[in-house]
Amino acid sequence: MALRRAAWQAQQMQVPVVSSRESWKRNKAKTLHKLKDEIRGFIYIFALWRKTLQKIGGNFGGGVQSFFLFLRFLVVLNFVSFLLIAGLVLTPSIVFRSVATGIVNSSVPEQCMEYDPNPQDLVMFYNYFLDLLSGTGFMEYSYMFYGYYNNTMVVNENFSYNISLAYLFTAVFYFIFCLICIIARMGTAARVAVATGGSAVGNYSMIVFTSWDYGCLGDRATKLKQKNIHYRLQVDLEEERIKKRAAALTLRQKILLYSLRVGMALIAFGLIIAAFYCIFLATVFSQANSNQEGILGLIFQYLPSMVITAGNFVVPLLCDQIALIEQYSPSTTVIIALLRAVFLRLVSLGVLLFTLWSQITCNGNTSSTECTPCQYNHKEYPCWETRIGQEMYKLTLFDFLINIAVLVLVEIPRRIVVDNWSCKLAQWVGRQEFVVSSNVLGLVYGQTVVWTGALFCPLLPLINTVKFVILFYCKKITLFYNCRPALKTFRSTTSAFFFLVVLMFGWGLATVVMVYALAVIHPSMGCGPFRFFLNMWEIVPTSFYNLSATTQEFLFFIGSQAFSIPLCVLFCVLMCYFVAFASVYGNSVSLLRAQLKLEGRDKQFLVKQFEEVRRRLQIPGDIADD
Amino acid sequence: MGTTASHLPKDLLSEYQELTFLTKQEILLAHKRFTELLTKDEKDHQNTRVPMDRILTLPELKSNPFRKRICHVFSTSEHKDGSLTFEDFLDLLSAFSDSATLEIKSHYAFRIFDFDDDGTLDGGDLEKLVNCLTGETDDTRLTPEEMRQLISNILEESDIDKDGTVNLSEFQHVISRSPDFVSSFKIVL
Repeated sequence: MALRRAAWQAQQMQVPVVSSRESWKRNKAKTLHKLKDEIRGFIYIFALWRKTLQKIGGNFGGGVQSFFLFLRFLVVLNFVSFLLIAGLVLTPSIVFRSVATGIVNSSVPEQCMEYDPNPQDLVMFYNYFLDLLSGTGFMEYSYMFYGYYNNTMVVNENFSYNISLAYLFTAVFYFIFCLICIIARMGTAARVAVATGGSAVGNYSMIVFTSWDYGCLGDRATKLKQKNIHYRLQVDLEEERIKKRAAALTLRQKILLYSLRVGMALIAFGLIIAAFYCIFLATVFSQANSNQEGILGLIFQYLPSMVITAGNFVVPLLCDQIALIEQYSPSTTVIIALLRAVFLRLVSLGVLLFTLWSQITCNGNTSSTECTPCQYNHKEYPCWETRIGQEMYKLTLFDFLINIAVLVLVEIPRRIVVDNWSCKLAQWVGRQEFVVSSNVLGLVYGQTVVWTGALFCPLLPLINTVKFVILFYCKKITLFYNCRPALKTFRSTTSAFFFLVVLMFGWGLATVVMVYALAVIHPSMGCGPFRFFLNMWEIVPTSFYNLSATTQEFLFFIGSQAFSIPLCVLFCVLMCYFVAFASVYGNSVSLLRAQLKLEGRDKQFLVKQFEEVRRRLQIPGDIADD
Repeated sequence: MGTTASHLPKDLLSEYQELTFLTKQEILLAHKRFTELLTKDEKDHQNTRVPMDRILTLPELKSNPFRKRICHVFSTSEHKDGSLTFEDFLDLLSAFSDSATLEIKSHYAFRIFDFDDDGTLDGGDLEKLVNCLTGETDDTRLTPEEMRQLISNILEESDIDKDGTVNLSEFQHVISRSPDFVSSFKIVL
């Protein structure tokens, strides 16, 4: 401090060289920086479950923590989507239901408009429970499903609100919003991976030099952080050892290993195809026998879900055993398991949807006898959108109940047995390990189901938010009480990125369904806001021509080639600019590194020279002393 | 120049504001916490030097594995015993504050990690550093083989001039690539 004081006093005596404009700029930059820090601190306080996540990261490592971070992201995404839907569709529907009435078009055949969701006969008490589980009965004709919304249009002097248009645009915007959130988060994850050197095996210097958090207060937090760092270092060192071992194999061993891997991949593929076929058979059987009453009818209704869940349980187990033979490094094993299982899960959902589609549109043949008057199967599905919404609702609910059931009936007893019963079998089975990949897949599957069903069941995001929140606490309980810390864990930076990639696959599937439903299939004529249109999208051109002439011309101009081609060219130019920038920075980084090396060598050279000169000066000195 | 009783004169306060990265509130809070560490007769003296074990009772430093090194680095005592005056304490807080630059922080981080104070981080320094990070007890330490592997990896990555040690510029090169260093190298009272 004394040195600094002297220097400062010396500086005070000089004439200030910095102009007032410079100092104003510097002050501005300082206040901006402080503001940013304060905003960050504010958001930090509101971060959901922050302490829990820190505890999980310390005790079980980054891999498990990345699963819970992903779950938290999905909870927030679903909640914000629900707010969007509630504000733009639900609230206006509730408010304007009593005010305006729907428009009726009488040029539609009578039998297509028959839709009676409230059966008049005596309803037993337990039927309410069955209805809650399957979305029929009292739940069917409610704000829950598409069929309850009307095509009301409120027009006042200076305010008009078209519910059908709002419904359509909200659904489309919901998808775009989710896509933007996922891509933004992928960007952050990718940036962290690139900045930290991003390679599969760790950046040890970075971990050792920068990972300590000096703000850690208290013995417990410090011990937790130390455990965390210990874990990370062990994981990276272990992966490096595996890599070295893999690189040290002889040619014969390598050929054996690769042929083994190809064989195992084919077996995994065969297993997945077999699972698909079973799901297809189950869905056809369920649709054929869907008119049974009571508990048997409920079982038949839930048959596709049960077969899907069974397949999603059995096939990844077998794939895990296959992975043991394949001997990839832990990170690669997780990613491959994830890709295989996501393929299974999403395409099994696709098979279910395909079966539904073939039933609704009579296998795409709209001129067959059942589909002729209304262009969809109006006898089986008087309101097919509500029916699809119900299927998605059932899938969500069933997935949730299975998770709870597995927790209560499998995991807790397993721990009790292993802890209290010391026979050899119990010790061999051991306490459970938290398998991240299958849990992530459960989340992606649940989210895809919600995306697929959101167009037909607007309250599904809210149900999903509640489901995921309860799931967070259940998984946390199972993690802390039933699981042992993993003996081997994996890096979390690349896997966090992959979770989002897999989520994108789900988003893609849901988008395909939404686009197809919007553009191709004829909406139900007995229910819903799009009753009298040829397809759901048709409302947009119809409303478009109600806009003022200048707005129409402006929108036509934006859509035309005269605007979009220069826009594309501009984007290409910007991208080339950024790529050039990036390569210039990369070049300067490598130049500076080379310079650093040279300076080190210069320093060594100078030190050697100095030693020599000193020696030479000392020798005449020694002789003089003699 | 120094602190008198429990009140900081205004000119001294503004001087400290100029010389450090701390704001006025932070300096006043630091003064309050520092005088709490003083005994009654020490409070009347100016420029009292507080021994290290009393400094280490501060909750912000108590469980930090680098606490002793931090005191040694910021101490201006001739006996090299890690005792701090109030101005040393302000230097410490300034280096660990929000507004300190990356260069300052990486400079002090380097000195903290340099356990033998020879100006470079060699294998012995790195081993002590890793032990501090993972915990000193036997079951939290890395095995000797893992330690060897880790140190050789670190030197391979960061020792650019291949002299077997990490000097300040190589250290700063590693630090500059980390996005979190500035926010984690922070102690706030």
